[in-house]
Amino acid sequence: MSDKVFLNGKVVEHPHEIHHHVSPVRHYQVVLGALFVLTGLTYAVSFASLGPASLPVAMLVATIKASLVVGYFMHLKYDDRYNLFVFLGTLIFIGIFFGFTLFDLESRDALNDDQRTFTRVEEDFNNTGVKPAVGISNDPQRLAEFEAKHGGEHGAGHGAEAGAGGEAGHGGAEH
Amino acid sequence: MSNAHSHAAHTTGEHNPHLAHHFDTMGQQAGAAKLGMWLFLATELLMFSGLFLAYFVIRGFYPDMVLGAHEYLSKTAGGINTCVLLFSSYTMAMAVRSAQVGRPNNQEDAARIKKYLILTLLCAGIFLVVKYFEYSAKFEHGMLPGKFYTAHLHGYDIEGLPHIFFGVYFFMTGLHGFHVVIGMAIMVWIYLRASRGEFSEQNYAAVENAGLYWHLVDLIWIFLFPLLYLVK
Repeated sequence: MSDKVFLNGKVVEHPHEIHHHVSPVRHYQVVLGALFVLTGLTYAVSFASLGPASLPVAMLVATIKASLVVGYFMHLKYDDRYNLFVFLGTLIFIGIFFGFTLFDLESRDALNDDQRTFTRVEEDFNNTGVKPAVGISNDPQRLAEFEAKHGGEHGAGHGAEAGAGGEAGHGGAEH
Repeated sequence: MSNAHSHAAHTTGEHNPHLAHHFDTMGQQAGAAKLGMWLFLATELLMFSGLFLAYFVIRGFYPDMVLGAHEYLSKTAGGINTCVLLFSSYTMAMAVRSAQVGRPNNQEDAARIKKYLILTLLCAGIFLVVKYFEYSAKFEHGMLPGKFYTAHLHGYDIEGLPHIFFGVYFFMTGLHGFHVVIGMAIMVWIYLRASRGEFSEQNYAAVENAGLYWHLVDLIWIFLFPLLYLVK
């Protein structure tokens, strides 16, 4: 090898050798033992009533087990750091996926109430006679259905119907 | 064998027959293969994460139903399968290790790799047999996903919408079981290659990558088991 390989400004000795790390058998045996013990622990804990703490505890134990498998059986502890980067990068993206979805589910009901998402169109039509600006009025068929459902004309007397019609109309939108 | 870094031979004169022409060294070749495997495992994790998220969403929507329905899964069967899978992960790691320290063209060392592969295959088989009994019990009791759910006709009164829980249960464990089957096929392939004496300390990337796949199957089960079978 005539060309030198540099890392952090220093020459790397023997850059192209296989740096495989061979774990002693004992390591694998100890890890297996720890995995069995932790499995027994989760199993036992599932019979104890920990209430709301049971999910975090179970997930903590599972995470420790997973770290043992990834670190020792899958060799990430000794491996090229780039593989660890790929793995942790995946976890970050899974975190984003979970975080945004669960955040949306948490806040969705409040937002729907706040913005009258499911009630706005019918309430406005019943109160003011204003046809929906987008969506329904752009589609002749849907507009016809909407008007048929609400009697087409509007005026006095609709206020009383609004409550009943509203409830029936978006009952399906709830979980 | 101690915890030492062994520097497998890369001497410029001697050519490793397993080195593909587009790589400079075996180290580079093995590193590329492993990086590719990790990228594949990343996609696997992302795929399963969608199912785990579905589980958490359903659990968030219908906590009582999930807790009610999960009581019908056999904790014992799940526990046995967890131990079987953990043990198979150990034997797979030992198969990889046997290849890492195996001398080239050595019958005895090749036999050791094969022994551990057979043990791993055996565990995978036990896992599937237990799974088969679990599934047949669920089929018998009509605890099936969606429109196939008929448990109420079999005298099981689970409150709420248990057909959704069993949808998640069958989808998650089914996809996991499918991975077990694929893993077994890969192991058979690695076994055949080991029989041809392909693997030794000079060339074991394929065994290692098969191992990584198998450990991933174990990894997913480590989370599936407490979430589906145990958690209250």
